[in-house]
Amino acid sequence: MLSRETPSGELMNAQVMRLLSGMSVHGDQHLAEVERDLVQMDVLLDEAIKKLCASFMAIHHAVDLQQEALNGLLADGMPAPEYAARFAALRGEINQHVGAAVTSLQFQDMTSQLIGRMVQHLTGLRNVFGALDTNGAAVSESGNEALLATLSDISERVGARCTELAGGVRSTVNQRHMESGDIELF
Amino acid sequence: MSKTILAVDDSGSLRQMLSFSLKAAGYGVIEAVDGQDGLNKAKQQKVDLVLTDQNMPGMDGLSLIKALRAMKNYQSVPILMLTTESGDDMKAMGRAAGANGWLVKPFDPARLTEVIKKLIG
Repeated sequence: MLSRETPSGELMNAQVMRLLSGMSVHGDQHLAEVERDLVQMDVLLDEAIKKLCASFMAIHHAVDLQQEALNGLLADGMPAPEYAARFAALRGEINQHVGAAVTSLQFQDMTSQLIGRMVQHLTGLRNVFGALDTNGAAVSESGNEALLATLSDISERVGARCTELAGGVRSTVNQRHMESGDIELF
Repeated sequence: MSKTILAVDDSGSLRQMLSFSLKAAGYGVIEAVDGQDGLNKAKQQKVDLVLTDQNMPGMDGLSLIKALRAMKNYQSVPILMLTTESGDDMKAMGRAAGANGWLVKPFDPARLTEVIKKLIG
């Protein structure tokens, strides 16, 4: 047990304070990096989906025009029945693929919500690390009581921020695949 | 004259997919970026059906439904929630607020238009 007013007691208190500050600063730095990467990922996904949507619209428009041209050709001549049937089947296939693409292109709405939730949790975790920081304050006395009181303060702050974190962000996305969802009329 | 649908969602890509699917099915579409924008646009022009997301910045979907139901000319207009949320408690809140149906994202365009056709033709 450490006794009051001994150099080893002061050293111990200083080491504990340094350890807590170090954990706080480094923990915060790493979490800030993760947060920055997540935000960047969200921006990249947003840009990607905009480009995908634009390409999808352009392809769909081109296919529509092609279809119109084909309809004109079919109306002018007398196409062999197998070609007419083949064109009709292709139209059906294209519509199916368009429907599937529309469903899949909704991924960004969900991923963006999930990323937003992760960022909110990271912010909460950074607050928890912030509560560990003693702001460089040294424990003035070398005894166990002073150290215990400081640790108790920190522990309370950490506990309060952990509670905030636990109750903070509700999950709004539980989908685990990109199949279309349920429909319920009241 | 084609029926008009108000599509309210804060996700640009989702609004784009909704608009694309509904226009392809022959409906007119008005887009709104959140509940408040949706409410403003609903006041400017009466629409035949409202399709709204739940989680949006500012005014959310449930608040929008309550505000619309408080307006005389929106008391019988069909309102559908289109959201990532699928919990029974949220559905119950939607129903209590005045929603006519609950659609879980992602939507399939054919199924969506089938439901809308059933409601407004």
